[in-house]
Amino acid sequence: MAEAPLIEIRQLTKRFGALTAVDSLDLTVRAGEIYGLLGPNGAGKSTTIRTLMGFVRPTAGHAGLLGGTAHDLALRARVGYVGGDGVLDRGLRAGELLRWYGDLRGGIDPARVAGLCERLGLDPGRRIGQLSSGNRQKVAIVQAFMHDPDVLVLDEPTSGLDPLLQRSVLELVRERRDAGAAVLFSSHLLPEVEDVADRVGILRTGRLVREDTIVNLREIARHRLELRFATDLPPGLLDGVDGVASVEVDGRTAQLVVDGSVAELVRRVAGYGVERIVSHDDDLEDIFFTYYQTAEGERP
Amino acid sequence: MIVLGQMLAERRRSLVWWSLSIAALAAIVGASYPAVRDVGSQIEQLVRQLPRGVLELMGAGGGIASPAGYLNSRFYSGLFPILLLVFGIMVAAWTVAGAEREGTLEPLLANPVSRTRVALERFAGTAVLLAVLTSAGTAVFVVLRGPFELASLGVGRLVAAGVGVFLLAMVFTALTFATGAATGNKGAAIAAGAGTAAATYLVFALAAFVEFFRNLRWLSPWDWFLSPSPLTGGWTAWAVWPPLLVVAAAVAVGTALFARRDLR
Repeated sequence: MAEAPLIEIRQLTKRFGALTAVDSLDLTVRAGEIYGLLGPNGAGKSTTIRTLMGFVRPTAGHAGLLGGTAHDLALRARVGYVGGDGVLDRGLRAGELLRWYGDLRGGIDPARVAGLCERLGLDPGRRIGQLSSGNRQKVAIVQAFMHDPDVLVLDEPTSGLDPLLQRSVLELVRERRDAGAAVLFSSHLLPEVEDVADRVGILRTGRLVREDTIVNLREIARHRLELRFATDLPPGLLDGVDGVASVEVDGRTAQLVVDGSVAELVRRVAGYGVERIVSHDDDLEDIFFTYYQTAEGERP
Repeated sequence: MIVLGQMLAERRRSLVWWSLSIAALAAIVGASYPAVRDVGSQIEQLVRQLPRGVLELMGAGGGIASPAGYLNSRFYSGLFPILLLVFGIMVAAWTVAGAEREGTLEPLLANPVSRTRVALERFAGTAVLLAVLTSAGTAVFVVLRGPFELASLGVGRLVAAGVGVFLLAMVFTALTFATGAATGNKGAAIAAGAGTAAATYLVFALAAFVEFFRNLRWLSPWDWFLSPSPLTGGWTAWAVWPPLLVVAAAVAVGTALFARRDLR
């Protein structure tokens, strides 16, 4: 029998005046699962998360965690949160803020905090206001993980971090997942979610337009690739390849749009001296093209 | 009291500077008294010919040459309360609305600490800071009564005036806090505190001349504190209870609304 989910959002609707930010959203995250909430800016990711954390109240429906809501302090004590804007008290030293937050949680083992700081390369003696945005984000990460939470709610937690640190953070997230925590992880970048999430939901104008495992989503993800060859392409080489939606050849360079797997394409060009493959698939609206099309075929 | 403790620790340095400045101003005002008194008898005669309203506006209903009249007109009816309420409004606007705007309130509330607790501890912190500033000003007169030749003014009167001016500033501080907590709008919070302070001062100042304002003067916290001044009249119920009531009501309403609304 499946356990009750640690994060449970049922028919959640949140309106701000005339704007419906989240619309009848259903979403659950079980223990030991990382759920990637994908969507471009303004899709309703932050509103969903802020409702779950109790910062805003649902217009209708329910946003719950650990069997209750974040308004229950005993439950909130078991949650770790990284907010979307990563703003912390600028006048404080990183270590002072971590100690303060730790005290609010009834005291945290200083060795645990020091270990996290070291792992992320954060100097706790510096004032938060003087830190780069990446280092500020590290403070936010440390305070979210220092009490080994059972639920992690992370709103774009790797924004501002370089790729190496991104990987350290994703590693921390996986460790918590393996320890049995439920993780809700929002992002507007597919590659990062692809890396870490077990399941993914795609949010568009407040509605969940698709929810699936990452394996299935890869099937439909659209890539934009640029292939550069050592010599001019033989005519017709790229015609009729499975999954290739469009091709533009210009001398030794080919611009391709591929839906789903690129395996067939790679097989076809093998032996033709591909010098470089450049991927441009960082725009979510591009990748999940079909979900972001409106009825008229325009971008919303 | 972790939120309160943190707030005081963060404001230690600015508190020291504000206290020193207020103490220095008090010392300058106090040290000038002997000189003023010496020419005072002539001024006093001049002053007595002024209409009663003007005298009250100057806070000089009890004359300006007596220790009480001098301190009241030079310090307690203008400079001191204005400095206190500027400080109080500044800090109170930050406690909820300012912190919300800078983005530090949400991460704090992700910890297991209720909104009510954050709001109340920070309001209490504002009150503590304001009390320290009031004490800094009052202590100068208490300690230096002798050298300043203000010895005829009892310590009890100075303490009563200190409590009165503290509560006067607290009224506008509480209105700022409550508006910020209820709305999350820092500008509105400052406007509410400073606006009420200015409007009620106007009512108090014009009450002596204009019938319309005379009928409203019981609404003005300045009137509660200054007529009569605790320096001349000692403890009055008006200087204590109405401000306490307003503060308690504003804090209760503001905190209750803050606990229910959406953060911005």
